[in-house]
Amino acid sequence: MAVSPLAPQSFQSRASEEVADREITEQMNDEVRHKYIKAKKLGEGTYAVVYLGHIRTDPTSFVAIKKIKVNTEYRDGLSMDAIREVKYLQELSHPNVIALHDVFSSKDQNLNLVLEYLPRGDLEMLIKDSDIHYGAADVKAWMGMLTRGIWFCHENFVLHRDIKPNNLLIASDGEVKLADFGLARSFADPYSNMTHQVITRWYRPPELLYGARQYSGAVDIWSVGMVFAELLLRVPFVAGNSDLDQITKICEAFGTPTEENWPGVSKLPNFIPADNNHTVPTQGREFFLRQFPTAGSVGADLLMSMCSLDPRKRSTAYQALQHSWWTAEPRPTNKEYLPRKSGGTRKMGDDLTRRGGELDDQFKNAARQLDFGSMKG
Amino acid sequence: MAANYWASTQRRHWLFTRERLAEIRESFKEKDKAAHSQFPLPDQRLLNIYFNQQLIKLGKRMATRQQALATAQVYIKRYYTKNEIRNTNPYLVLTTAFYLACKMEECPQHIRFVVGEARGLWPEFIAPDVSKVGECEFSLISEMQAQMIVHHPYRTLSELQPELSLTSDEIALAWSVINDHYLTDLSLLYPPHVIAVMAVIVAVVFKPSSQTGFHGSAAPIAGAMRDGGMNILAALGDKGGAGPPPRIQKLIAWLAESEVDIKAVIESTQELVSLYEVWEQYSEKNCKELLGRLVKSKSLDK
Repeated sequence: MAVSPLAPQSFQSRASEEVADREITEQMNDEVRHKYIKAKKLGEGTYAVVYLGHIRTDPTSFVAIKKIKVNTEYRDGLSMDAIREVKYLQELSHPNVIALHDVFSSKDQNLNLVLEYLPRGDLEMLIKDSDIHYGAADVKAWMGMLTRGIWFCHENFVLHRDIKPNNLLIASDGEVKLADFGLARSFADPYSNMTHQVITRWYRPPELLYGARQYSGAVDIWSVGMVFAELLLRVPFVAGNSDLDQITKICEAFGTPTEENWPGVSKLPNFIPADNNHTVPTQGREFFLRQFPTAGSVGADLLMSMCSLDPRKRSTAYQALQHSWWTAEPRPTNKEYLPRKSGGTRKMGDDLTRRGGELDDQFKNAARQLDFGSMKG
Repeated sequence: MAANYWASTQRRHWLFTRERLAEIRESFKEKDKAAHSQFPLPDQRLLNIYFNQQLIKLGKRMATRQQALATAQVYIKRYYTKNEIRNTNPYLVLTTAFYLACKMEECPQHIRFVVGEARGLWPEFIAPDVSKVGECEFSLISEMQAQMIVHHPYRTLSELQPELSLTSDEIALAWSVINDHYLTDLSLLYPPHVIAVMAVIVAVVFKPSSQTGFHGSAAPIAGAMRDGGMNILAALGDKGGAGPPPRIQKLIAWLAESEVDIKAVIESTQELVSLYEVWEQYSEKNCKELLGRLVKSKSLDK
């Protein structure tokens, strides 16, 4: 492997000594690399190629190998997406977070992430597939796994910032796994700013749409609430076609943010004062129950607590997990018996090559270039 | 800070014993005795002082957080536990560690800007081609096995402030002690909370004699710390003894009740004392010359 800061040696003897120097770390890397076999390409995006692979000694234990394209010829260094993904997955280990088994570098100087193989697609596939029928017990099981995953991230001071159904992948045993940490970051220090340009629009909370630069885990909880609503309705609940449209739709659905129901909202940079002739009162429990009858009154209450306009009033992941809905009837479906769909392998290729913050198929003009041709056959 | 220190890659893969660290360095020397005698380098700590000063210069015109500089210093240390420094261009490693650390600590800088600044400082060692830094970044990440989150003592220090009712002077002093610990091997030897506790002790116990600040006039402080260190040692051995003033007694009582590894705290205090002693010999010119000769003679900048 050519390793850059090491200069080419002018003397033959030096060169061989350098080889000796390099041996230990290179050997370690080689050991990891040789542990896996790359089989076929599952998908390709602008920033990564995903392969199906398996452990050399055990062809039945599959892995997904995500080869990160180190910007061709290192023009701009490794992208923030890739950095973030590796950074967090290296440290986070939880049943509901995709596992990073290994990292190795290949001869062509690419970084390879060996990820847990999740063959059963993602939640979006299940939501969209009208042939699949599921009920409140199934939704409860999926939501439980999602909420535990996000609780674990927050407990470790990590914001995911891109929760949406197609980032929630499904393992062969039915376990839901949080994937795509390309937009994740640690909680900022108090009073320091973060970008508000995160989270795919339909799952983006009102504070980010209003341009808040200081925010908390509540942004992810809003997204979790939107996923919850979508699982129940089987269509995205608030699907704006622009940021402005998104905020309008949120106001229509949940109520108009005002200084009364959300102290401080009018000071947010992109706040748009409500038209006095057209304000919607903050929606109460009846609204949620009417909109989401399948959730039952306890479920509607949990959903409402996740969709509070004021992020300070929104429940935290920890509070959400303590909600009585989880223990109310019906019991969550055992993960082995959850509805399933085949053909998820190819989907994993898609899911893992998407850039953060992008909508999947809904927007034809999304800046996403997948080479579907290579996946056929 | 992100994730949990106790489960972190830092704790699992990047803590060394002193013996292991010495062994690694000895093995580099064994492998290339000729280079070691041909290109002598100053004491590791003096080199670290030089690297730190260069990093500060590099970050000067960018909005860099202290934490990014700290992370960069840890990356450099980790990198040189895997690679003999005499086979590298330290200026390139420095620039790259800075560039990667900025991304990790959420204050990213464009690679062109970083390379531009680096070329302004060390034109003879940094090529205009940004791809060198890109390549080196890849190597740095590979050598660190993509384990890039570094837990620093700064946050523990802020958490200790109310607990130990530390004054703002004490916090400032402890903060600069933490900055200084990156000039030693301490970040490879002990967990961040041990360093934070050590910094608090140094700040509280030695504050009166350190009005001048640590940098520059290090020797008298080192002396004071050595004597003070003895007091602490004595006080810890003799809990509730009538020796030290109440403020210090309170700190000692807290320490005794905490489950912090006291031996590690004392050892790191001593490490800091010897840093301040060796600081006396620091010469920027000397570091610069020796590194320059190394890089140029071995054409490491090509």
